[in-house]
Amino acid sequence: MIRIKDLTKTYGRRAALDGLTLTLGVGVTGLLGPNGAGKTTLLRCLATTLAPDGGRIDAYGLDPSHPVQRTALRRRLGYLPQDPGFYPHFTAFDLVDYVAVLKELTDARQRHAEVRRVLAEVGLTDRAGTKVRRLSGGMRQRLALAQALLGDPDLLILDEPTVGLDPEQRMSFRALVSRLGESRTVVLSTHQTEDVAALCERVVVLRQGGVVFDGTPGALAAVAEGRVWLSDAAPEVSTLFWRTADGRYRTLGEPPPAANPAAPGVEDGYLMLLGEAA
Amino acid sequence: MTWHVSDDLREGYLGGGLDPALAMSVETHLARCAACRAAVPYEPEWLEESWRRLEARLVAPRPGPAERLLARCGVPAHLARLLMATPTLSRAWLAAVGAALAFAVLAARVDPAFVPAFLVAAPVLPPAGIALAYGPRVDPAYELLAATPLAGARLLLTRAAAVLSTAVVLAGAASPLLPAPPWLCAAWLLPSLAVTLACLALSRLVRVPLAALAVTGLWLAVAGAAGFAGDWVSAFAPAAQIGYAAAAAVLLLRLRAARTRGETDTG
Ligand SMILES: Nc1ncnc2c1ncn2[C@@H]1O[C@H](COP(=O)(O)OP(=O)(O)O)[C@@H](O)[C@H]1O
Ligand SMILES: [Mg+2]
Repeated sequence: MIRIKDLTKTYGRRAALDGLTLTLGVGVTGLLGPNGAGKTTLLRCLATTLAPDGGRIDAYGLDPSHPVQRTALRRRLGYLPQDPGFYPHFTAFDLVDYVAVLKELTDARQRHAEVRRVLAEVGLTDRAGTKVRRLSGGMRQRLALAQALLGDPDLLILDEPTVGLDPEQRMSFRALVSRLGESRTVVLSTHQTEDVAALCERVVVLRQGGVVFDGTPGALAAVAEGRVWLSDAAPEVSTLFWRTADGRYRTLGEPPPAANPAAPGVEDGYLMLLGEAA
Repeated sequence: MTWHVSDDLREGYLGGGLDPALAMSVETHLARCAACRAAVPYEPEWLEESWRRLEARLVAPRPGPAERLLARCGVPAHLARLLMATPTLSRAWLAAVGAALAFAVLAARVDPAFVPAFLVAAPVLPPAGIALAYGPRVDPAYELLAATPLAGARLLLTRAAAVLSTAVVLAGAASPLLPAPPWLCAAWLLPSLAVTLACLALSRLVRVPLAALAVTGLWLAVAGAAGFAGDWVSAFAPAAQIGYAAAAAVLLLRLRAARTRGETDTG
């Protein structure tokens, strides 16, 4: 169980986190929010790479502001940063192996077996000997995911994990993460509302450093209940509309004339929520 | 297909007693000939195990020459791994240090008045290397590594050790070429150690580059004061050396105490 209470972090005058309170349990939680909402800042605080200015985090009874407990928490988490940097002259195997050393896997045989396991999990076994600088963007992203899986952590923190993945890779990512989420706490941030709809049993929407929604994807879609419309003619002036593949117009907000109500999706709910909060 | 695997050959192959070339040709044949394959009994577990062994050999780490050398010198493999990934131990850094030392030696050989330049410069190398070894600006993988239990002071310490030993080896190789008595040629060693430990101790309070800058400044002030007093050798004289050794010992004890208290990280 992870309890985050009144977390604040300011950069200059700007509050990246503004008294954020959140509790995380077993399962996959998705963080949604516009750029600059504070998702990365929150995940960095959880991953112990950034010290918050105020508030507290209690993860499995451990307090990351305390040096010894911080190290103990680091033994239990896996972290995929938003822009993971690498040593380009390392091979994929060497890079993950290096992180494994830093995760205190000192026995070489066990460590190498674990490295092979996580590389296989992300489908990079046949690239193990390739230098990082020769890997494509999607492969690097999977490599970064592989190192986060080392040692089977209780808490997986994934900051925009699906960036750079093609649809097929995104599918296998979802399969992997949903399996992990059965017994672990997985928290991921994303811009893809489809990821959230497909993967997360819980969505938290952040805006300006605070939580503006916390519930199931279904509940987020329901925010736009009765506000999604399909019509044959283009709406005159409307908040938001676009032409769908079948030639009809989909409107979010006030109904255009002669429109039929349509079932809202997670994206509709998300847009509605941000539109209303503005 | 000109031959099939005879009973003798099969026994030998299964028993593992064939010479490698023969075993390989048996394997090649088995891969193509279903009849011979059917005659080879196997257990799923054995197959699984051999596959794992094969995979372990194909998907394996590739330690570089320096890492292999360290391992041969008795450094534990995981520590060698840690040491070798120090960002400052790049070719560019080594070349820069080598060039600086070569230049100082050359200058001193042309004019012995430049001997102090070498002695003063050598202790500056480790803190400079440490400043470039660990931090969000200099380590591309910093954010990723910062969430691991060994990150922070422990990783910095390992990298500092790597930087210090390289600097000592390089300066040690250059100093016999100085036109000075042997004791003076080695007089940079204790100051280097003291300055490095001071940098590490200070990095518990301030950021690493700042700590490196501060101790470098302190060292230059000490050496400069002796120079201004007109007797630069006094900064390297036995009395001063005892001072550096004492400082190094105190700092080392403090670092060890902090380590046993479990303070692995400053921020
Ligand atoms: N290192 C930093 N220095 C200054 N401002 C920062 C820094 N990191 C984040 N911010 C600011 O904090 C806010 C939240 O950023 P971030 O957590 O990265 O948002 P998100 O991940 O949701 O896009 C933004 O306004 C961003 O500009
Ligand atoms: Mg972000």
